[in-house]
Amino acid sequence: MSIRLLPPTLVNRIAAGEVIERPAAAVKELVENALDAGASRIDVVLENGGQTRIAVVDDGCGMSSEELLLAVERHCTSKLPDDDLLRIRHLGFRGEALPSIGAVSRLEITSRPRGSEAAWRLRVEGGEKGALAPAAHPPGTRVEVRDLFYATPARLKFLKTPRTERDAAVDAVQRLAMAWPQIAFSVTADEGRALLKLAPASDRRTRLAAILGRDFADNAVEIAAEREGARLSGLAGLPTLARATAKDQYLFVNGRPVRDKLLLGAVRGAYQDLLAGDRHAMVALFLELPAEEVDVNVHPAKAEVRFRDSQMVRGLIVGALRHALAAAGHRASTTVAATALHAFRAPPSMGMLALQPRPSARELAEAQALYAPPPAAAEPAPAAAEEPEPAELYPLGLARAQLHDTYILAETRNGFVLVDQHAAHERLVYERMKAALAANGVARQALLLPEVVELDEKAAALVAGRAEELAQLGLVLEPFGPGAVVVREVPALLGDKVEVAALVRDLADELAELGEAFALKERLEEVCGTLACHGSVRAGRKLSVPEMNALLRQMEATPHSGQCNHGRPTYVELRREDIERLFGRR
Amino acid sequence: MKLTIERAALLRALGHVQSVVERRNTIPILSNVMLKAEKGKLSLAATDMDIEIVERVPAQVSRDGATTAPAHTLYDIVRKLREGAQIELDAGSDRGSMTLRSGRSTFTLQCLPPEDYPHLAGGELPHTFQLTASELKQLIDRTRFAISTEETRYYLNGIYFHATRSNEMPVLRAVATDGHRLARVEMMCPEGAAGMPGVIVPRKTVGELRKLIDENEGEIGLALSETKIRFAFGEATLTSKLIDGTFPDYDRVIPTGNDKILEVDCKTFAEAVDRVATISTEKSRAVKLSLDKNTLVLSATSPENGTATEELEVRYNAAPMEIGFNSRYLLDIAEQIEGEGVQFAMSDAASPTVVRDTADPSALYVLMPMRV
Repeated sequence: MSIRLLPPTLVNRIAAGEVIERPAAAVKELVENALDAGASRIDVVLENGGQTRIAVVDDGCGMSSEELLLAVERHCTSKLPDDDLLRIRHLGFRGEALPSIGAVSRLEITSRPRGSEAAWRLRVEGGEKGALAPAAHPPGTRVEVRDLFYATPARLKFLKTPRTERDAAVDAVQRLAMAWPQIAFSVTADEGRALLKLAPASDRRTRLAAILGRDFADNAVEIAAEREGARLSGLAGLPTLARATAKDQYLFVNGRPVRDKLLLGAVRGAYQDLLAGDRHAMVALFLELPAEEVDVNVHPAKAEVRFRDSQMVRGLIVGALRHALAAAGHRASTTVAATALHAFRAPPSMGMLALQPRPSARELAEAQALYAPPPAAAEPAPAAAEEPEPAELYPLGLARAQLHDTYILAETRNGFVLVDQHAAHERLVYERMKAALAANGVARQALLLPEVVELDEKAAALVAGRAEELAQLGLVLEPFGPGAVVVREVPALLGDKVEVAALVRDLADELAELGEAFALKERLEEVCGTLACHGSVRAGRKLSVPEMNALLRQMEATPHSGQCNHGRPTYVELRREDIERLFGRR
Repeated sequence: MKLTIERAALLRALGHVQSVVERRNTIPILSNVMLKAEKGKLSLAATDMDIEIVERVPAQVSRDGATTAPAHTLYDIVRKLREGAQIELDAGSDRGSMTLRSGRSTFTLQCLPPEDYPHLAGGELPHTFQLTASELKQLIDRTRFAISTEETRYYLNGIYFHATRSNEMPVLRAVATDGHRLARVEMMCPEGAAGMPGVIVPRKTVGELRKLIDENEGEIGLALSETKIRFAFGEATLTSKLIDGTFPDYDRVIPTGNDKILEVDCKTFAEAVDRVATISTEKSRAVKLSLDKNTLVLSATSPENGTATEELEVRYNAAPMEIGFNSRYLLDIAEQIEGEGVQFAMSDAASPTVVRDTADPSALYVLMPMRV
């Protein structure tokens, strides 16, 4: 068969296969176009999950009739004014979206430029451009996509249920909405039901709260950091707000939602040792950097980006998150308290209680004798007798009692906290060990029989390339011909049961996947964690009031003391309002 | 099968064989001990498919026969019977059970047919030689502490026995290493051992063997092939599979040119190391040795607790140096030294150190330093 040039409609369908893989992708492209057009409100209508009809209406700058004709042509765009791919300031730039959508659906665009009196309509069906027709439309653009993928039945077959596709589309809009708080968004389903309705918000926190829920906004710390012209802002959830999947990690580069491995790796690195391995933090991070520092032209759907200086970006994210989380100190999320509140039940009806016979006077006297405090001489220093410290002075308040020999009850200025003594002390011991490890370096045990670990060539080079960094963590290795490394020293902390080969393989995988070696650090921290667990006050141990207060004061002074090493909370706080609500006083 | 036996004799034999039996088994019969009565003797056998111990004890046999009974249960019953009691074992024609009577106690145990019992013994064991109990004990005791417990390098999970030549003399050597330290012990090669292949005896076998040695004086007969080894003690026989792997070329890692020689009284040294290491709370318990002319300063630091130092008078004439070790490894080796003095031959803080008993050249230990 001879080689021939493919007809343009087919070319467009092939391109559509890459750019428009499902209705959500079409919605994303169209909303991005609206954003690039400077819209202040964007309304999306989805019918049958977007399969039957997608409509995106904006009040942006609109298009004249000539522009309209060009817009549906391939590689036609208004967004690269100086033909410079290194300076991409718009969300789109390739001029692929509209022709791609047009190639696989029945597309109808109606637009009226701002300041113009006339609106025009253009139809494209399966790549065939129709004629321009005058229409009635307010300033802005309305794009309607009907019967998406009707021209590519194979693709149609692979769509999921309308519900799944609809959720994906809403998710795409939500992501964009997070990045553009000042713009109003709405998504409506076929039967007129509002799936998403976002009023213009004055700041990001409000918008994020509207999308991710109050919980997130209340239990996240503000991130703001700048380094070498790159700016990171957003919200990072407290470790106690962790989720089972990484789904709730929203990352944006110059207002563009991305799922980039480097960035996800950096987030994981920042939360390392605050979360158990299978928990994931909730974050919404916005990275702004000069257009020439980032290449967005690497992925058809632009979900991945490349940075000129990826180490700087990584450092910025890890540094900023760590700093903010450390500053949050002992804060545990209020969701924990909310769960606790739900656990409280009102007592059974009073009628039942009244039926019980009243205790006789004698019984009461006996009971009182049992519960009476021992004579003052037997208890030399009750807490109140000490200097009367005002509870206001301390965020975690003053210890009032120990419950079940396990929990410390402390009264704070406006409520009380309940501290799990073991979890709290474990974290304190662990943080102390970590500080010692950082200050003194990791002791290394040299190997009598150096262990040769076979890897593939790329992985071996990758691991050997980070030899210096690994040596600081106690693992000394060298390249050993192509495709192997030889391990000469291992961290003494890991003992003599360390499976060197498995460790090095894990490291290689992580370096390839995330660009950083977590496994070694994690194992060291795991050992520290176990030691910390054994070296800390257990549940069931009685503590005196000064001991409890000392623990509370240490918690206030220690970073990350709001959660134990596994991300569980070390304490819950119930505010006075909450208590009052429990008793119906509010 | 019907027999009467004295409690102490049965208990002793059961004690030997039952420890081979794993607590949990997927093959039911492996939880059992095989009992076989013939010619005035009761023979007991137990196996985990890797090790088999067979022991014979005299008994008043009134009817020959065989059965298999739950090993741990039987052992516990016999253990709890009164001292000096006579025990009657009776496995009648109904072979699904065995009755144990002693005084007024009667137990009926569920049994499995003896024909199904797996036998490890068998196969040719061409190399045979004799060792005294104390010789074998020396070979094992001085090396077993260095056996690796890490499973990926399975060929290090045992003691490597092989015949070689040392200083032109034929020797039998036992070597064990866990990759951090190595222990090598040798003895004059006994007759018949010269042609034996190098074999790795697994850790569990070493443990069982050690218990048997303790209770048996005199000669032990060894027989081995490339896959199995058998130790014969009077009435007891232990047969074990060997680790199917190649022991590393350990000679390569034993340095020969270490010229910085430290000699110190072993007991004083061990006590000092133990004292100084108290301060370090870490798992790795590093101890630093600072050497200068005829003095050794042991020191340890802990970020939490503080520091510890102890000075010792030693014999040392080389250039001053510092070297760190895991204190546990130092103590393990010091424990093996029976003479008064211990000698360390060092090169630098990153290279292996050779440790010897000054009075006894048969044992040698290699220890890798720790980098603090």
